[in-house]
Amino acid sequence: MSSSAPAIERRAAGSATPVPPPGGEATRRRREFSRRRALTITAFLAPAVAFVALFTYYPMLSGVFGAFRNWSIYNMENQSWVGLANFETILGDALFWKTIGNTVLWVVGSLVPQFVIGFALALWLRRRFRFRGVYQALIFFPWAVSGFLIGILFRWMFNGEFGVVNDLLMKTGIIDAPLPWLADPALAMPAIIVANVWYGVTFFAIMILAALQSVPDELYEAAALDGTTKARALWHVTIPYIRTTLTLIVLLRVIWIFNFPDLIFGMTGGGPAGQTHIVTTYMIEITQQGDYGRASALGILVLVVLMVFASFYLLATRERTQAR
Amino acid sequence: MRNTRRSLLAVAAATAGALVMSGCSGGGGGGGGEDGEVQLQMVETLTNPARSTILKELITGFEEENPGVTVELVSPPSEQAVTTVQQMLQAGNGVDVLEVQDSTIGPFSSNDWLYDMNGDLEGWDGWDELTDNALRFAQPDGPTYMMPYGFYGLSLFYRTDLVEEAGYDGPPHSWEEMIDQAKAINDPSQNRYGYAFRGGSNSASNVVAIIEAYVADDLDVENAFLLENGDTIFSAPEAQEAMDKYMELFTEGSPPSSIAWGYPEMVQGFSSGSTAFLLQDPEVIATIRESSSLTEDQWSTTPLLVGPTGKAAQPIATAGWGVADSSEHKEEAMELIKYLASGEAPLTFAKGNSLVPILKSAADDPFFSEGPWATYVTMNENPDTYLNVTQPRGVAWWQEWSEKSDRELQEVLLGQTSTEDLLATWDEYWSGKFASEG
Repeated sequence: MSSSAPAIERRAAGSATPVPPPGGEATRRRREFSRRRALTITAFLAPAVAFVALFTYYPMLSGVFGAFRNWSIYNMENQSWVGLANFETILGDALFWKTIGNTVLWVVGSLVPQFVIGFALALWLRRRFRFRGVYQALIFFPWAVSGFLIGILFRWMFNGEFGVVNDLLMKTGIIDAPLPWLADPALAMPAIIVANVWYGVTFFAIMILAALQSVPDELYEAAALDGTTKARALWHVTIPYIRTTLTLIVLLRVIWIFNFPDLIFGMTGGGPAGQTHIVTTYMIEITQQGDYGRASALGILVLVVLMVFASFYLLATRERTQAR
Repeated sequence: MRNTRRSLLAVAAATAGALVMSGCSGGGGGGGGEDGEVQLQMVETLTNPARSTILKELITGFEEENPGVTVELVSPPSEQAVTTVQQMLQAGNGVDVLEVQDSTIGPFSSNDWLYDMNGDLEGWDGWDELTDNALRFAQPDGPTYMMPYGFYGLSLFYRTDLVEEAGYDGPPHSWEEMIDQAKAINDPSQNRYGYAFRGGSNSASNVVAIIEAYVADDLDVENAFLLENGDTIFSAPEAQEAMDKYMELFTEGSPPSSIAWGYPEMVQGFSSGSTAFLLQDPEVIATIRESSSLTEDQWSTTPLLVGPTGKAAQPIATAGWGVADSSEHKEEAMELIKYLASGEAPLTFAKGNSLVPILKSAADDPFFSEGPWATYVTMNENPDTYLNVTQPRGVAWWQEWSEKSDRELQEVLLGQTSTEDLLATWDEYWSGKFASEG
């Protein structure tokens, strides 16, 4: 049974292969035509390319150069080259290593529950029931709210004295005295992760639901004929069929969560005592202090880490797919 | 081929046009229109909607008095406003008049982005109307990079009913008395606390307030992070005493979660009725008046708390208007600066934004001399008790200090560092910074 899905994938892939053009004369005419067309296409692309180069790559490159300069708000006139000094400062900073640990915790701690709950929601929403559209809209709502705003909302919810979280926990008898959620480093990290899980579940639910709707019913019918249980069908039909989507959205989410300082910034500002800083919130703090060189160096480290991660992740998942 | 060439040309022209236009759009500032019309670009940084409305009203008044000059107010969202202004100033266009804060005047002026208005203000009749504090920042002897529009100043907000219930005759006068009262009122089981402690963002401002009160006799009022002998305030033995009292206030008189309290939590703590004391700026008066949890007779204000020698240091925080050095319409820009600093305009602005006004005449205005505002008059009338001091908020590293001190104070509150180590670190930091400055 488990071979059905890849077989379908292969067929679909085969039909998309372009048919090679027949005959030498046609090819030559085609090439000539292409050259003219290529010029036109290039010309039409030029504004977009110029725009992206000017407003995306130029600032990015300028940021990269900034990492090797003494670039600070206090003296814009003197931007001398300082080599790797900015990187040395960062790597020698104890708080930087704390933020690395926090970042891993933040990404893994947010991603796993988001994925599991999102998957469960998607499976549930896939069934047809009354007002399904309304439920879908309600569940997708958090994704439309700004991360900073969510941070501020949760900052009040987790407030030790006036927060609804302590109130509910005390009324249900789970705790006796209010917990200083955002004031205690041991509690603040779980609190921001809870907020992020609430926010990110939606994305997984949307994406996985879309993927689930692409699984043909025939596969489930065939599985049912073979007497497969629902759990086995999920494991052997659904998951293999949507594996590509899952791989991609997990990768995207890792990068997005990594680069998602908004919520932490609104909720704790990295505190107490820098204990909830992740790399990107720490980068904002350094930028606010006006040390753009050091912030750029940190930005490059983030870029490198994410690129290495993405390469390994894609390689590993591709090998697994090919091995099948 | 001809078609291709023609389309190529068209595309190239379009690209060039787009680039030229994108280049131009940033450079609209201070553009002179037809018929000698001048348009000034004015950028504010402490943006909030209510304030922008008041500003626009004042601008309308200015435009009526100055035909031929129009002012376009640019209001970037406050979180990014300073960065936006920096970029505009760095680009050298798009700004004529801008908001200058005491924390941005340092970097802005050291980069030569601000125009020295002093020469243009020679013989200006508005000088005589300004209060001493306003003159201190406007600097009639130059250079004048900023004309203040108002001041923030600390006073103690207190709950009249809770203080009375706890058996005290009146509000505290000194830090010592306030800490005693806060401890007496503090009762976590009833969700009632003594003091709205600031442990979060900008927390060092309140630590410095108590330290300065304790070292007030030896304080250098021109640079209130230093003593008269040139050492930092953090090195004084009285600073250790103040710090210990401050920790006592936190552990025995404040909500435990206030390690994370910034401005909104402090104000909420007081206005919701949870805490009895709050050390804040006058802008909070309006917020508390709107609170449904407190009636007008349940609270009041009292002057800033004094130290063991009966003195307090009132750190003056301010912001104002300045002119960009790159402005091509400095004459008109100066007219706007003068308009905002004399006559009715500064009073309207101060009332609408709950600021201590810059004009002497405000003392006669009942708005500023009655109710919670009266405290500020009291403090102004007793400059020997409530020393007006200037903190080095204009130094280039102020923002760095602010972030660093927030984190380090939280480490002390969490028990990760001792108060002795904290003071030693701060002493070292400021001594080093002042020494390197020369």
